[in-house]
Amino acid sequence: MKNIKKAILLAFIGAGLMAPVQAEEVHAIICGGEIRPADQVVFDAFEAKYSGVKVNAEAVPWGTCQDKSMTLAAAGDPVGLAYIGSRTLKQLGRSGLIVPVDISDEMQALYQPGVLATVSDGGQFWGYPHAFSTKALFINCGLVEAAGEACVAPRTWEGLYNMAKAVNDNTSAAGIGLAARDFDNTMHQFLNYLYSNGGTVSNADTGEITFNSPETVETLAFIGKLAGVAQEGPSGYERSQLTQLYNDGQIGMYINGPWGGGQHNDNIAEIVVPVPAGPSGSSGTLLITDSMAVFKGSANEDLAMELAQMMTSGEAQYDLDMSWGLTPILQYEKMRDDVYYSTDYWQTFVEPIGRGGPEPMFEDFKALQAGINGAIQGIILGDGSAADLVAEASETLAEGL
Amino acid sequence: MMDKYSLLQKIGIYTSIALFITFMLLPFVEMFIASLRPLTHLFSRPEVPVGETMSFVDFMSRFWSDKMSFQAYRDMWVTVPQLPRYIFNSVFLATAVTFISLCFVIPAAYAYARFSFKGKSVSLTLFLAVNMFTGAVLLIPLYKLLRMYGLLNTYWAMIIPGVAFLIPQGIWLLKTFLEKIPYELEEAAFVDGASRLYTLRRVILPLAVPGLIVVGIAIFIGAYAQQFLFAITFNQNRDYMPLPAGIFEFIGYQTVLWNEMMAASLVGVLPVLFIFLFMQKHLIAGLTSGAVKE
Amino acid sequence: MSNLIQMFKPKTKAQTTTLFAWALIAPAALVMFWVVVWPLYETFRLSFTNSTLGTLMGGAEYVGWENYEKAIGGRKFPSIVTRTFYWMFLSVGLKVVLGLIGATLLASNIRGRGIFRALVMPPWIVPIAIGCFGWLWLYNGHFGLLSNFAEMAGITDGPYSFLAYKQSAFYSAVVTDVWIGTPMVTLFFLAAMQGVPRDLYEAAYVDGASRWYRFRRITMPQIMPTVISMALLSAIWTFNSFEIIWILTEGGPRGATTTLIIDTFKTAIFSYKFGAGATRAVLVCLLLGVFSLIYLTVLGWVGKKYGYAGVQK
Repeated sequence: MKNIKKAILLAFIGAGLMAPVQAEEVHAIICGGEIRPADQVVFDAFEAKYSGVKVNAEAVPWGTCQDKSMTLAAAGDPVGLAYIGSRTLKQLGRSGLIVPVDISDEMQALYQPGVLATVSDGGQFWGYPHAFSTKALFINCGLVEAAGEACVAPRTWEGLYNMAKAVNDNTSAAGIGLAARDFDNTMHQFLNYLYSNGGTVSNADTGEITFNSPETVETLAFIGKLAGVAQEGPSGYERSQLTQLYNDGQIGMYINGPWGGGQHNDNIAEIVVPVPAGPSGSSGTLLITDSMAVFKGSANEDLAMELAQMMTSGEAQYDLDMSWGLTPILQYEKMRDDVYYSTDYWQTFVEPIGRGGPEPMFEDFKALQAGINGAIQGIILGDGSAADLVAEASETLAEGL
Repeated sequence: MMDKYSLLQKIGIYTSIALFITFMLLPFVEMFIASLRPLTHLFSRPEVPVGETMSFVDFMSRFWSDKMSFQAYRDMWVTVPQLPRYIFNSVFLATAVTFISLCFVIPAAYAYARFSFKGKSVSLTLFLAVNMFTGAVLLIPLYKLLRMYGLLNTYWAMIIPGVAFLIPQGIWLLKTFLEKIPYELEEAAFVDGASRLYTLRRVILPLAVPGLIVVGIAIFIGAYAQQFLFAITFNQNRDYMPLPAGIFEFIGYQTVLWNEMMAASLVGVLPVLFIFLFMQKHLIAGLTSGAVKE
Repeated sequence: MSNLIQMFKPKTKAQTTTLFAWALIAPAALVMFWVVVWPLYETFRLSFTNSTLGTLMGGAEYVGWENYEKAIGGRKFPSIVTRTFYWMFLSVGLKVVLGLIGATLLASNIRGRGIFRALVMPPWIVPIAIGCFGWLWLYNGHFGLLSNFAEMAGITDGPYSFLAYKQSAFYSAVVTDVWIGTPMVTLFFLAAMQGVPRDLYEAAYVDGASRWYRFRRITMPQIMPTVISMALLSAIWTFNSFEIIWILTEGGPRGATTTLIIDTFKTAIFSYKFGAGATRAVLVCLLLGVFSLIYLTVLGWVGKKYGYAGVQK
C-alpha cells in the first residue's frame, strides 16, 4: 500500500513539475539496503499523527548514502533529514546546510557521557546522535598461550608490546594487527592510543590545535615500535582486513568495536580488554557517533526535525543499538529493566565511555584524516622522526579546523 | 597457405594466448574462490609451520578448503531481492544508450571521416575535450539540469547523461574505421548517380560493420560502467537501478558480504559476455577483399 | 526575402560539403550542447570562485586567480604532475604493446579463437570497482595469490604486501590499470586488423615476405590510425583514472600513487570545495589539451612519412 502511494508520488515528481518537492512529504535518507521494521513503526506513527503528510524514506546503500544527501543539499534540493557521520556536522553547519537541533534537557540527561560532544559546535547541537561506538582490544588467547604468555589484559603499553612480541617471536602469527592504510579507521585506531596517553587533537572551545605535544610524539613513536611486531606491510591494511587476519589466526590482537565479537570465528578463544594505558595517560577510548541531521530549506523542516527526534529515541533507538551491535547511545538502564549490554563483553565497551574522547570536530575532516594518516604512514615507512611527523601533521590539521 | 602455421608456431601461439588470458582472468580466480567461502573464512593463508618456508603443496591448499560451497550464490538473491531486476536494468540501459548514441555517432563520424570542412578540427577537439573532464565535477550542475527538465528518477535520468558522455568517444573511434574504407567505392556509387545519403546507407554501412560492432560494444560497455554514478545521484527509484548500484547493497554497516558481492558480480557479467561471444563472430577477416579490383 | 535566401544558399562545392557535414554532425552536437555545455561552463565559472558546500547556490565570491595560484603553487604540485604523466605514459605504453600482441594472437587462424576473444573481455565488462577488489586481494600480503606464490617460489621470505610500500604500490597500480584497459585496446586493434584487405597480405606472401615483414610493413601502417586514436583516448582516460588508484591505495602510501585526479578528489571534491575542485578540473583539461595538441602534431609529421589512407578531398 505504501509502495503504491510512493509510486504515485514519484510519478508526479517525474512528470516535470518545476517545484522541487511535493509540499506534504518529508524526505528521509536512511543508510542501508532496506528500511528497518523499527523505523517503519516510527514512520507509520508519524503519518498517523500528521495525516496528509507522507514519509518518503529512501534507503540508500552504505558507501553512497552520505554523498547523496550532501549532493542533494548542495544542488538546492535538500532532503528533510538524513543519516550522516557526525564528523560532517561542523562543515554542514558552517555551510548553512543543516539547522541546529533542539534536544530537551531530559533527553540530554539520557545520553551517555561524551556523546553530545560529538554533535556540538559553537554551543549548539547539530544532529540527533543515532549510532555510537567505542573501541577495545581483542586478544586471541589461543595464540597468546601458545606463545607461552598468560592470557590476561595488558594494562600498559609496555605490557601490550611484550605480549605482542611474544606472539610474534614464538608463533607463526604476527603479534598485533596494525592498520595504516589511508582510511578513517586508521585514524580512529591512532586516536584510541592517543586518548589512552593523555593526548588531544584540538581544543573545542578555543579552536586551537593541541596535536603537537609530547604525548602525541610519544604515541606516534609507540606506533612505530609496534610496527616491528605487527603484521607485515601495515600500510596496506585497514581495520576490516585486520579482522580477516584475526579470523585466520594471523595476528594475536587488534583494536575493534563491539561488532567485532560477531565478526570473529567461533573457534577463536578470545578476551576483550580495555585499550592499555600509555606512559602519560590512563586507558581511554574513542567515541564516534553517526547522527540524523535536519537539512535547511526542505519542504517541512519542523516535521523533519520531529521525525528525527522520534527515530533517535525510545524503542526505535534501542532496537537499532541492539540489532546493529552498537555501544548503547542512551543510558537505557534509566528507561528499562533489562538491557542487552549487561554482560562482561559489553561492559568492556560501556565502562570506558566516561573516560573516552570524542572524534574531533573539524570543518575539513578530510584534512584531519590526511594529516594523522600521513604521520602514521610516515613513522611506519621510516620517513622521518616522530617529532617531525607530528609537527608536519599539525600544520595540515591547522588548515582544516 | 598463408594461414597455416607450423607446429612450433602453433605451440607458441597457444602458449602466448594462455599467458595472456591468465593475466586477464587472474583476479577472477580470486573473486570466484572468495564467492565460494563463508564470510568468516573468506581469506586464509596456507599453513606454514614456524620456521619453515611454504611448499608447493601448502600453496595449492589455498585454492581449496572444505568449507567451500555455492551457498553465496543462493544467498545473494535473498540479500538483494531485486537483483534480477537490476541485471535487467543494466542490460536495458546499456542497450538503450548504445542504440541512441549510435544514431548520433554514425552520421557525425562519417562526416569527420570523409569531408574536410570549416570548423572540423575545432569541433572534433571540443568533442574530445568533454572526456577530459571528470564526471564528478559535472555531477551537480547536471543534477540541476535534469531536475529542471523533470527527468529525475526515470530511466532517462541515466540514459541521457550516458549518451552525452559516450558520443565523443564514439565519434572519435568510429571515425578511424570509416576513414579506412576506400573512397573509390563511394565514387563508383556517385558515378552511378546515387545520393550521399544513399551511399552512406547502402555502400558504406555494410563495409563498416567490424568498426560498428566494435564501437557499439565499446559504447555498450562504457554505458554499463558509467551507469553507477548517474544512477546513484539522479535516480531514487529502486526499480530502475542498474546492477553496479545494486551491488553496493552488499555493503553493510560494518561488514561487507564479499562472497555474495563477488557471486553477484560474476553472475552479472555473464549476459554481457554472452552478447559479446555472439557479436564477435562478425569480426571476420578480409571484408573488402575483392570489392575493388585495381 | 529571396535575396536573403540566395545569400545563404551554398554556392561552391566546398560550401555544400560543409553544410552537409554539419547537417550530419548537428544532432550529436546538439545533444552535447544541451546536456554538457552548461555544466562545463558552470565548472569553468566556479573555478574562479571560492564556492563550497554552502555557497553553491549563491553567495560564492569571485576570487580571481587565487584558486589557480594555490593549486599550482602547492609544494607538491610539480611532483604530482610529473607522477601523473609518468603514470600515463607507462600505462598507455603497456596497454598499446599488450593490445598489439593480443590482437595479433586473436586474429590468427586457430581453433577456438572465438572463445579466446571472449575470455579476454571480462576485465572490461566487470565494473571497475569489482575488478579492483579482485586485485586488492591479489596484492594482499597475507592472503594474496601473488605474495603466496612469491613466498613458495622462494622469492620472498615471508608475506609481502605490494600496496604497502611506495615503489611497489605505484607499479602495482599500473599493472591493474593496464589490466583494465587492455581488453578494449586489444579489441579495437583486432577490428582494425580485420579490416586490412586480404589481397595485400596475399600479394606479399606470394612474393615471399615473412610474417614479421608482413606485420611490420602491412599491418602496422594500415592500423596506425586506430592505434593513434586509441592511444590518445586511452591516455585521456588513464590521466583521469581515479577509481583504480583510489580503491587500491587511496593515493598512498605517503602520496606515492597520488596523481592529479587523486589529489583533486582528496583536497577538493571530498571536502566539497567546489571552487577548488573546478579549478583542478580545468587544469587537468588544459594539461590534457596541450598534451593532445603536441601528440597529434607530432603524429601528423610521422603520418606524412607513412602515408596511410585518410581523408579524401
